[in-house]
Amino acid sequence: MEPTFKKSDKIFRFTVGERVAHWSHAISFFILLFTGLGMISMFFRPAVGIVGGIDVARNIHRVVAVLFVVVFVVNLFIGEGGRNVRAWVREILAFDKKDLAHFMIFPFEFFGLHRPYPPQGKFNGGEKFNSALMITGMVCLVITGFMMWFPTAIPRVILQWAYPAHAGFALLLTAVLLAHLYLSLLHPDSNQALKGMFNGYVPAKFAYEHYEKWYYKVKSEENVKEQAKREIAADG
Amino acid sequence: MTTRKLVFTDTSLCTGCKACSVACKAWNDLPPEKTDFVTSYQVQKETTAKTWTYISFHEKFANGKMTMRMFKHQCYHCADPSCMKACSSDAIYKTESGYTLIDHDKCIGCGYCVSSCPWEVPMVDPETKKSYKCTGCIDRVENGMLPACAFTCQPGAIQFGEYNEMIKKARIRLAEVLEFYPNANLYGEKLMGGTNYVYLLLDKPDTYGLPKNPSTPWSLTLWKSVIHPLGGVAIGAAALAVIAGVASNAALGNYRAKKENAENSHMEGGE
Repeated sequence: MEPTFKKSDKIFRFTVGERVAHWSHAISFFILLFTGLGMISMFFRPAVGIVGGIDVARNIHRVVAVLFVVVFVVNLFIGEGGRNVRAWVREILAFDKKDLAHFMIFPFEFFGLHRPYPPQGKFNGGEKFNSALMITGMVCLVITGFMMWFPTAIPRVILQWAYPAHAGFALLLTAVLLAHLYLSLLHPDSNQALKGMFNGYVPAKFAYEHYEKWYYKVKSEENVKEQAKREIAADG
Repeated sequence: MTTRKLVFTDTSLCTGCKACSVACKAWNDLPPEKTDFVTSYQVQKETTAKTWTYISFHEKFANGKMTMRMFKHQCYHCADPSCMKACSSDAIYKTESGYTLIDHDKCIGCGYCVSSCPWEVPMVDPETKKSYKCTGCIDRVENGMLPACAFTCQPGAIQFGEYNEMIKKARIRLAEVLEFYPNANLYGEKLMGGTNYVYLLLDKPDTYGLPKNPSTPWSLTLWKSVIHPLGGVAIGAAALAVIAGVASNAALGNYRAKKENAENSHMEGGE
């Protein structure tokens, strides 16, 4: 039976650590993209004049890249947030039938048409695919980026392939970013998720409709906790 | 109108005196650098931002006889240069006389040209953060003078002139030399769209440590001719999908439904 919701019903989705991971990536991605565009095409070269020209842009690019890697990696090992970010990676690797089913109907959802799909975990098939692309892309961008920073220390043949790989992943992830921005800001259904990235809570109705499996998992955990509390109170 | 020029280096005449290397430094105002022992008479391993030309020495011992092969390295001024394709800043360009030049006002020292050149010629100066290589003495040759290296070459191994005349000369000389050196060949005429520096080699290119078929790296073609345009298409497609998504959601009334929902629950005192 479908549960009923009040508008104010909320469910906790993202810990501080998960939000730090998201926003450190988001902010650095925009800065890295802007400062990198001046290198990818002469068309964008005049734009980097805003930060003081291409030489300054290239330095910003390096500083922000290092900051991002440090913040992201350190955050990965801090407390519950870090644990959850690591769990996110594990969940992506456990891509199964229900995820595939969601991934297949995702294009319909994207354009606002609804198709039934099996109950999803904390992240649905589409999100897992997006996350997998982002993680793979960012790891490759970081590795190739450091190669380009120290070209004389890298074998020529590898360096020659690092350049196209860096440009390719940057452009691909930018395309993915556009879709991500649409889903989080402009899409009438999925934009509810954005709240979770600010204060950690999403509407319970939204959670139930989009991540049914996860919703019941959280609810049952809450019940277990409350049960335990009651028992302790009773014992006390 | 300027016409295409050619520097023809006849290595059969070269004595390995390295005066070309010195003359290059003198004319282009390049400081001397600390040299190393590489092999026999050779003290430079590669071109650098401050050494635009050097001679490599290749010893050969056969039939109880020692012979020495010499080769003058510098930028070959390809007709279809991969450094120009790789350049991030449109700083590398071709002249009508056939030279490949770097505009140092535009160069930002990214080093893309360094990794793209099949001969590994251009180098970035760590101090000025600009890429440097042989200019072909463009300032001299376009004013009716010989390039510094050709001007100074005592045995006349480095020869300069109009492209067609010099190619003819090179072919005639090759025919003469082939009699004594059956492996002799012209190096450069058909490489990278045809270089502006062509050599008469006495032996196969690999004897001199030269690539037999230098070519634009696959990775560079993939990068500039496939990934860049394809990436633009992907971003454009994503932008179109976003617009289509907003339009279809609006057409389906999804935005209105959401708003009404919100208003209803407001009236119910939901929030």
